[in-house]
Amino acid sequence: MDENFQEEFTQIIKFQPPLYKQRYQFVKDIVEKYKPKKVADLGCADCSLLWMLKFCSCIEVLAGLDICANVMKEKMHTLSPLPVDYLQPSERSLTVTLHHGSVAHKDPCMLGFDLVTCIELIEHLEESELKKFPEVVFGFMAPSIVVISTPNSEFNPLLPRVMLYRHPDHKFEWSQAEFQSWALETARCYNYSVEFTGVGHPPTGMEKVGFCTQIGVFVRKYPQTGESVQSEKPTEAVYKTVFKAVYPSLKDEKYLQNAVISEVIFTAQIIKHRFMSKRKHGDDPERKSEFQPSVNCFSDYLGKLVVERNMEPFVSGNEVYIPLATIFSFPKVNRLCGTFEKLCKLIAGKVTLSSDGSAVMFNIEHE
Amino acid sequence: TTGLQVSSGLQDLSLRDRGGRRRDFHDLGVNTRQAMVHVQESKTGFSGRMIKLSTNHFRLTSRPQWALYQYHVAYSPEMEARRLRSALLFQHEETIGKTHAFDGSVLFLPKKLDNKAGHEDALLFFIVVTELFSRTRNGEDVKITVTLTNELPPTSPTCLQFYNIIFRRLLKMLNLQQIGRNYYNPSDPVSIPNHRLMVWLGFTSSILQYEENIMLCVDVSHKVLRGETVLDTMHSLHSQVGEERFRDTCAKELIGLIVLTKYNNRTYRIDDIDWDNNPKGTFRKSDGSEMSFVEYYKKQYNIEISDWMQPVLISQMKRRRGNIEGSVALIPELCSLTGLTDKMRSDFNMMKDLAIHTRLPPEQRQRELGRLLNYIQKDDNVQKELRNWGLSFDYKSVSFTGRVVQGEKILQSGAMFDYNPQFADWTKETRGVPLIRALPMDSWLLIYTRRNYDVANTLLQSLFKVTPSMGIRMNKPNMIEVDDRTEAYLRVLQQRITPDTNIVFCILSSSRKDKYDAIKKYLCTDCPIPSQCVLARTLTKPQTIMTVATKIALQMNCKMGGELWSVEIPLKQVMIVGIDCYHDTVSGKQSIAGFVASLNQTMTRWFSRCVVQSRGQELVDGIKACLQTALRNWSKWNRCLPSRIFVYRDGVGDGQLNTLVNYEVPQFLDCLKSIGSDYSPRLTVIVVKKRVSARFFAEIGGGLRNPPPGTVVDTMVTRPEWYDFFVVSQTVKNGCVAPTHYNVVYDTSQLKPDHVQRLTYKLCHMYYNWSGIIRVPAPCQYAHKLAFLVGQSIHREPNLMLSDRLYYL
Repeated sequence: MDENFQEEFTQIIKFQPPLYKQRYQFVKDIVEKYKPKKVADLGCADCSLLWMLKFCSCIEVLAGLDICANVMKEKMHTLSPLPVDYLQPSERSLTVTLHHGSVAHKDPCMLGFDLVTCIELIEHLEESELKKFPEVVFGFMAPSIVVISTPNSEFNPLLPRVMLYRHPDHKFEWSQAEFQSWALETARCYNYSVEFTGVGHPPTGMEKVGFCTQIGVFVRKYPQTGESVQSEKPTEAVYKTVFKAVYPSLKDEKYLQNAVISEVIFTAQIIKHRFMSKRKHGDDPERKSEFQPSVNCFSDYLGKLVVERNMEPFVSGNEVYIPLATIFSFPKVNRLCGTFEKLCKLIAGKVTLSSDGSAVMFNIEHE
Repeated sequence: TTGLQVSSGLQDLSLRDRGGRRRDFHDLGVNTRQAMVHVQESKTGFSGRMIKLSTNHFRLTSRPQWALYQYHVAYSPEMEARRLRSALLFQHEETIGKTHAFDGSVLFLPKKLDNKAGHEDALLFFIVVTELFSRTRNGEDVKITVTLTNELPPTSPTCLQFYNIIFRRLLKMLNLQQIGRNYYNPSDPVSIPNHRLMVWLGFTSSILQYEENIMLCVDVSHKVLRGETVLDTMHSLHSQVGEERFRDTCAKELIGLIVLTKYNNRTYRIDDIDWDNNPKGTFRKSDGSEMSFVEYYKKQYNIEISDWMQPVLISQMKRRRGNIEGSVALIPELCSLTGLTDKMRSDFNMMKDLAIHTRLPPEQRQRELGRLLNYIQKDDNVQKELRNWGLSFDYKSVSFTGRVVQGEKILQSGAMFDYNPQFADWTKETRGVPLIRALPMDSWLLIYTRRNYDVANTLLQSLFKVTPSMGIRMNKPNMIEVDDRTEAYLRVLQQRITPDTNIVFCILSSSRKDKYDAIKKYLCTDCPIPSQCVLARTLTKPQTIMTVATKIALQMNCKMGGELWSVEIPLKQVMIVGIDCYHDTVSGKQSIAGFVASLNQTMTRWFSRCVVQSRGQELVDGIKACLQTALRNWSKWNRCLPSRIFVYRDGVGDGQLNTLVNYEVPQFLDCLKSIGSDYSPRLTVIVVKKRVSARFFAEIGGGLRNPPPGTVVDTMVTRPEWYDFFVVSQTVKNGCVAPTHYNVVYDTSQLKPDHVQRLTYKLCHMYYNWSGIIRVPAPCQYAHKLAFLVGQSIHREPNLMLSDRLYYL
């Protein structure tokens, strides 16, 4: 259920940007600050927070958990890689997984996360579930940071259409004191520190009411638990995976090789093209095209290269040879491969090379 | 009580595609056959031998007494956002069920909803009373009224649209990626690093009512994607052409291309480049606030734009939100190119490398389709969805018998030739035989640059060798050496052409388009003389020079008004017309219609004109004028008016059939009426479509082969509401042959379908630039050639002095 609409249409108080966006922005700011690699969103609903987080370049593992599979499925395809992700694989790896299950149950797939967010989740939990929740999240998952947001009931009188709770599925809504005492107790119990904040400022003069949405940010006080510790927590998998997307990444040899081959051939062709037209027209200074200063082009680069003798392309018979060393000196190729050896290894057998393997070879008979 | 109207008329086409478009791509609801009495009973031909064919169509079956229930969903108060409307509605999943299709106002369910509210007039009312569901700014409760409007039988047009939407849903469930209208498999791309291309395999699909069944037609589709951004392309263009020509070149290369963006799964067409803007520029958001592109992409997608000096691409959005036109600004760095440019298409090597991956032979093509059907059959979720709707597919494609009509005899100066049907080509057979009408080359110019002096001489010698046997009398030309500059060529043309000049031959040293354009423009408009431009490169290979010279000699003869061969055409007093269109994608402003009409009984001479039209104008007004002059010319040649007219109309896009039938055909009739009150010829209008997804495979020796030329299909996969048929006329060396679809939309000829089919096939033999059978009737190909030349090079109507010759070949 999309309950993000509820708080933004009141006559007295109108949040700009809408409150749900402010909550997401809050999470994004946390991500920017702590740069977590693995992030899980508990109660991810229609995956809109996950969708925003997939654009954060520090995140490599993104997981969602919800008790309702249908609501996740509705928009889960927005978490799939886009055509462009395949065309230009990114440097980082990213895996997005959606699980169907309850926050009252432990599943090993939730281990090892750096950040766990529970945005407007706890107020939907039955008493029995709420009781198990701290042990599952803080005791079992034990991420470095936990973000928990929940409605602040003291703010409700300012929302004219709210009778009891803001949403029919809410099992409770806490005052600031109630939330803080629960949070402090939980933090103490599992060795976390907690700080309170929120989004949705109260109107001037009514500051005592507090934020419309109250947020607790929990930071684990003890260092990262190693793999060994995690394996001491034997649990069976109870969640059902409903979606998994592995984004193409240059960390994957297959994509890296494709990218390198493509870049090597492309670069070699540019060098060949310039070399050939130079041969044809001589070193006419007027023919050298000029480049916009803003365009960081390979052209300036080529100028410098001529100095180094054995890196120049050469023609022999019907073939033109572009030394691999020259190609490797291009920033893009260099960045992709890292080392010259890696370059040679990746293109072996995929690009036509000279007999000694030191240069890319093109046949120019028909040109 | 409300009368339940179970109608299946066009007005019900209310399901919206993604993006809210309501375009009728399949020309559903255009029923032209009902007006043609002579094909009510049967539209099939009879001649030829039978051939066993299979196709890429799969039957769709539904359970007995199946019906689709269509509901209207109204919100009180009115809700704008489609997302909100669905969210509100599907809170009631327990009532509605899990299987549904909803576009914001029309709801489809596989079941009838119970009449809970007990209201007399409506079948169902349910009212959302709790204020928690209130979504409006003033906090009103939302009442959702769901009214049953239709109980649709499986064959209603709305149902067909609905099947297509459901099928797309299935493809999505199979994790295929939507690009444009088709779905592609991103996980196994073919990369062609030489050209920085990537090819994705995918599928086009459509579900339609065919002759006897509702069927899924699915074909393999390839998407060419480029591993570079628009900004990358701009950089390499800059390094190729330099500062001066940079902007023009960018416009030429990029406008009209389709791009994908880095951040969403949508495609945009580049309509313009705004050089005065850059990523620092601002735009107005929907809430009215101003924001810079840099800021927006950072905030929305965490994307850092690295080049702040790049221009901004403009894409026009047509028909979004109640016909309001608007434009979208795109950042080149965040856009990836798709598809091929004209320049790439003319790159022989690139196309050759691509063809290896995209031209699948029949067996392989069917295997790929089989794989898709297999996925559909094996995937639990997909099967569940189908089951819930009460639908299923035959997982084996349909097969049936087609006919292969007899091959034609090629007539040339009293001699008669058969051709090998396997190749559908008579180059060898007619070699050394005099042409029907060979025109002399008494006075002609041969223009070349100094570097090509030898090439010019070799060509000349070869021409002297090949022309005598054709019956072409040829004198030594006026040989003129020029500098390799456009002005030099033009000056020579201005000075050396005399009233006696038969033809001008230019040997060009590079494929620079501007030079070619300038020569053609001058010789087609200011100084109407046939001309032949040939790249020096094509003349440099000794092993092919004789073949090339032969081809050039034939082509020049046609350009001067000669005739090569003919086939037997039994109909008398017939005028055949071919029409095709060219749309200028670069400037996007011009459309050109080529119009070609036969002048004689043997269909060896043609009258050619074209219409140049700016955006917004209707081509048909110009076409009407062309038809008038064509009739005048025909009567000059034949001393009477034709009693039958056949119009082969190519270049009709998907979804434009309705306009053609209701607007263009009446204009043709009007035009004929205006000739004289006693003149009422029989008119047949046939829409020619080359781009169809139907494919036929001949089952020969346990394997699948391409059907031979002359294969006619007029059952099973044709449409019941049309008088239509397919002809496979050409042969292909690689891949699958594409049949051409012919749709007779208007016909007072009283001819039997068999005769119309035979005439059509005969006309595919009459294209003089290819001594073989082609995909479309010759006049269509001539019209295409003419429109292309004018659209690419001349940009205005050529001089009418040339109109009785095939000067544009």
